[in-house]
Amino acid sequence: MKTNSLLVETRALSFGFGPRQVLHQLDLQVPAGSIYGFLGPNGAGKSTTLRLLLGLLPAPAGTVHLFGHDQARHRLAALGQVGALIEMPSLYDHLSGRDNLEVTRRLRGLPAGRTAEVLATVGLSADAHRPAREYSLGMRQRLGLALALLPDPQLLILDEPTNGLDPNGIIEMRALLQTLQREHGKTILLSSHLISEIERVATHVGVLQQGRLAFQGSVAELQRRQQGHAQVVIDTDDAARCQLLLPVDLGGATVLGPGRLGVPYQSAEQMAYLAQQLVLAGQPVYALHCQQPSLEQAFLHLTEPAVA
Amino acid sequence: METALTFAQPGLLTQLRRSLAADVLKLKHTPALWLTLGSGALPVLLFALIFFFKGQFILKPGENPWPAYILQSWQTATGLLLPLFVVLLSSLVLHTENKALAWKHLYAQPLSRAAVFGSKLLVLLGLNLLAQVVYAVLLVASGWLLGVLRPGLHFADFAAPLGAIVPLLWHTFVATLGILALQYVAALWWRSFAAPVAVGMACTIVALTLMRWEYINWVPYAAPLLSLKAVGKGLAVGWALSTSGLLALGWAAAALLLGYVLLGFRHEGAAR
Repeated sequence: MKTNSLLVETRALSFGFGPRQVLHQLDLQVPAGSIYGFLGPNGAGKSTTLRLLLGLLPAPAGTVHLFGHDQARHRLAALGQVGALIEMPSLYDHLSGRDNLEVTRRLRGLPAGRTAEVLATVGLSADAHRPAREYSLGMRQRLGLALALLPDPQLLILDEPTNGLDPNGIIEMRALLQTLQREHGKTILLSSHLISEIERVATHVGVLQQGRLAFQGSVAELQRRQQGHAQVVIDTDDAARCQLLLPVDLGGATVLGPGRLGVPYQSAEQMAYLAQQLVLAGQPVYALHCQQPSLEQAFLHLTEPAVA
Repeated sequence: METALTFAQPGLLTQLRRSLAADVLKLKHTPALWLTLGSGALPVLLFALIFFFKGQFILKPGENPWPAYILQSWQTATGLLLPLFVVLLSSLVLHTENKALAWKHLYAQPLSRAAVFGSKLLVLLGLNLLAQVVYAVLLVASGWLLGVLRPGLHFADFAAPLGAIVPLLWHTFVATLGILALQYVAALWWRSFAAPVAVGMACTIVALTLMRWEYINWVPYAAPLLSLKAVGKGLAVGWALSTSGLLALGWAAAALLLGYVLLGFRHEGAAR
């Protein structure tokens, strides 16, 4: 498989619930071998998109391609290569963790040893005999992930997989996803409304805003795109006094703290000029640097509602 | 571009076999399984106690007790208990998926809708048959027990009419198929436990109320009780289906066909 091939591709995908349009002309492109962070605020249409990818909802307009094949024509064959965890894990509470996996193993006709393997992968071997109703939220989420991993799929579609996990669980999940991508060559499409979850793990990002892709590309590309939002951060003694002394240069600056100012970044020359002006005005300059926006800020810029 | 992945799709029979194997495992520890194994015992216990304590008033002296014992029990079981059992069973089996929010997971597997539909239908048919066989076996066994405990009733003096019980089971089983299919489709459509049970119970009561109606043969919920029309004097039972039995088959075929088409419009948009 070529590394630049697209494992998931939608073309002009649209969807609505009755008169309410949820997705508008979505052109999603998930490269093979990537961890694609699918970001967006709650209600942006992430889960609907994932359901459309899996064929759980019919696509009234546009197309979905999985592994380069039209999903509408090759759905079952494609699903054989996909493991999915959509919203809350689907668990039979009256069955043990092991039997829950056995159900899906039987559904897919997988070898008997696979159940024990995925139980070990998600760290549930010791609790496999317990009924799922006794599992904590985090254990249920891990069992849900095990269900998705069971067929050893080429593509993992995970909808908010860290829901209910404690900080340790989140770190473990992150490490597991990275191992799956780096060592096993899996492609992972991961949805979340939490940027902090995505930024440490994703190689690519798609930002959904009100059913439209506000951005799609690599993480580095997203940060480059946001360079317009970079700012010069000045550490001095008295931020207010500096603004009074240099009203033209610093009048519009943002006060970030008692001794800290932020000015929109323009150029290296601008930084030198500001340093010079502050010194001339008799103000100390302890530090002066250009701060790139974090992914979180980039996300907020992209998802803030457009001003009419 | 298309990848070099193997894009094989399992055949429908393979899908059905896999789905059935999974559905059978899901029955473990479920109320549906306990209901199947236990429901047959209730009418048997009831009539065994009635005959144990009052048998001498029900049976004529020296008469073969088996036909009366089997028919009276069968009538109670098929008239009310059997339709309610089928209503409850179909809802319980499907509620396993509702409760687990498992439909979205199920349809995200490489299984066709037909395989999922067919496998659950087979499970329901199997449980329905199992419950009726358990009932018949318990009924005969209780007669033998009465022969030991109450020799005065003469159960031990006559052979159990096993030759009549098998065709009787055939008629009763066929008679339940209309209800089973309707309830199955209703439970699949509503995806709730209460709604199809409420409708099924109401339909059963309406059917019992309309028992003297000239078109009662057309009411599938009355078919189990009407199946006893196949029983002749001295518990003689033929294999030919009565009108209500044939109509029950017709209801089953129509409900399953129409239900399958309608369910094609149901999608996994909600959180289940």
